[in-house]
Amino acid sequence: MHHRQRGALRLSAVLATGLGLVAVLGAQADPASRPVPAASAADGTLQLGAVLALTGNANLYGQDQRQGIALARQWAAGLKPQRSLHLQLEDGGSDEATAIGAFNLLIRQGVLALIGPTLSQQSFAAAPIAQRHGVPVVAPSNTATGIPQIGTFINRVSAQSSVIAPLAIAEAVRRDPKLQRVAVFFTHDDAYSTAEAKIFQQALNDRGLPPVSVQRTQLSDNDFQIPITAVLQTRPELVVMSMQAVAGGNLIRQLRELGYRGQIVVGNGFNTANIYPICQRWCDGILIAQAYSPELNTPINQTFQQLFARTNPDQSPSQITAQAWTAYQVLFEAVQRLEQRNGFQGRNLGQARDAVLEELLQGSYETPLGLIRFRSDGEVVQEHFYVAEVQMEPDGRNGRFALVSSTTVDTSKPPTTQQ
Amino acid sequence: MIEVLLQTLLNGAASGGVYALVALGYTLVFSVLGVINFALGALFSLGGYLTYLLMGGSIGNNGGLPGWGLPIGLPFLPALLLAAGLTGLASLAVERLAFAPLRRRNAESLLYLITSLGAGLVLVNLLQMLMGAEGYSFPTAALAGLPDAVTIAGARIRSVQLLLLGVCGAAVIVLTLWLEKSRTGRALKAVAEDPTTAKLLGINSDAMLRLAFAISGALAGLGGGLIGVSISLPGPYVGVSYGLKGLAVLVLGGLGSVPGAIAGGLLMGLAEAMVPTEASGWRDALAFAILFIVLLIRPSGLLGQRVVDKV
Repeated sequence: MHHRQRGALRLSAVLATGLGLVAVLGAQADPASRPVPAASAADGTLQLGAVLALTGNANLYGQDQRQGIALARQWAAGLKPQRSLHLQLEDGGSDEATAIGAFNLLIRQGVLALIGPTLSQQSFAAAPIAQRHGVPVVAPSNTATGIPQIGTFINRVSAQSSVIAPLAIAEAVRRDPKLQRVAVFFTHDDAYSTAEAKIFQQALNDRGLPPVSVQRTQLSDNDFQIPITAVLQTRPELVVMSMQAVAGGNLIRQLRELGYRGQIVVGNGFNTANIYPICQRWCDGILIAQAYSPELNTPINQTFQQLFARTNPDQSPSQITAQAWTAYQVLFEAVQRLEQRNGFQGRNLGQARDAVLEELLQGSYETPLGLIRFRSDGEVVQEHFYVAEVQMEPDGRNGRFALVSSTTVDTSKPPTTQQ
Repeated sequence: MIEVLLQTLLNGAASGGVYALVALGYTLVFSVLGVINFALGALFSLGGYLTYLLMGGSIGNNGGLPGWGLPIGLPFLPALLLAAGLTGLASLAVERLAFAPLRRRNAESLLYLITSLGAGLVLVNLLQMLMGAEGYSFPTAALAGLPDAVTIAGARIRSVQLLLLGVCGAAVIVLTLWLEKSRTGRALKAVAEDPTTAKLLGINSDAMLRLAFAISGALAGLGGGLIGVSISLPGPYVGVSYGLKGLAVLVLGGLGSVPGAIAGGLLMGLAEAMVPTEASGWRDALAFAILFIVLLIRPSGLLGQRVVDKV
């Protein structure tokens, strides 16, 4: 053998050994291969992760969600669970990059399952990472079409827009059956808003009310004088909006200031009490469809409201808060059921994640949203939906979502058309 | 038809007025130092929050001191002016921390970009720590006595937009008159034109530089307060987008040109207002496309002076 060939062989051997070592060390570093300790062990607490928008323009939702999860943990602690859960909360910001970073971080830390992220737009970017690592995700507030379809590990407790959005349109038409002229505003660079706006427009078309004006705004917009001027020239009798809360609150205020007095229907982005300080007295009278009502009379909803009232005596919890509670609750219950059957015994984290997903999809849950379960694709099946009207207090500082009507919708089958 | 045109002009002028304020802030510093102060967007945010607090607003639940507020509640205009003054002082602090050390070392102008950007980011993050990331809306009674909107020759415009236009216009006129007529203003212009000659004439160029920073910050603070009352404060990053627009206006009008900053601001505002409603979602893109075209035709900007290299 030539000297040069021997050198090449030696080099190959060193490289192969190095690569092998990296592979072995990498496998050991992958938290999925770690064994799950027994519940009674000192390190028997399992980790859940939550990625919420605590900064950026979606932070209004993230703050509501943080509160919902904190209340759910308070409730769960009172049940003296067999398997303790620790929650690691990460700020997902209001953009895709921060959410991706938070997902990666928590997955590397070895979480059993994830809650979040806050925005649909973020889910489309971050959820595929969890899917690749086999980590179950429960999205608490994503309503855009196609979220559970991102992958088998991706689930949500927030009913999609196609179920909820048309209900508020129906209420507006019921109140004014003669209305003809409808204008639509939506944010064209936001996945949630574009999906919901399509559904709103479909619902309007189905009623023979094609919009007379459709205005596309941007996520960074807060001054809407120009598109409002264009809309008012079409003399609308109903304005429909699908936007995030802060921008939407601004739009309502500017629309009313410029003299629009007709009905306003808003989308899921407005489902937070945090809009009140933004649009103040101008919020009064807006119609919104909801997946949660404080008026649902069930023991778990009463518990939820009692806990909420301890820190917010003058407010009712919002849908976003209730859905975040629900996201934690379903994971908590799935883990406890699994624990009762010794479902974690002898399993590593990766196998435990698979088991939790299976358990999650098999269960049904009595939650503040009502009785819910999951379709096999991870879509929530929920029966009761509501239409509420915002009623502001005279000082314009606070308000409430007053229940107008409740409806039963069959969400157990996939929609026939994909928007 | 006339109403639509008037409405478009008023809409454009109101937005353009704020862009012009920010661009003037950039212009003043650029004139005397030849660099761009990238912390101006953050100072814009600071001005908005200071106005809110001076009007009696309190910190929200997610801020560093939830529920805390100043024990005063000034009417809007005094609060706006005081906030602008305080933002001017903050701008001086930025000059001391981010610019002065580099100036003493005759550093490359690129380094100023980095330090001012860093100072801006620190300021925005401090705002976020103190005020939280939530949106703040000024009290409904902020403009008590003014109607929600007024009709001018058939065009409907929000009163707050008119106020914004008026304050921007007044600020621009006062600043222009001060620069042209006052001794200090002329001294500032002299430093901007030729620092060495100005120094030989006994003008304290360091003092003029500090003055430029203070006025620049005050203009940004004024813009922040006006935007706050008009469309609320959606978060500590509110100034960043206005800062970027102001930068574009600065280039559009011509680097270092005061009339150029005003003309550029108005042009940018009008360009945005004239974007057809069908393309409203691409307003920013179209406005910047106009900037691109103008710069292709006039690389020195609308009113900027052509620089001739002497060989």
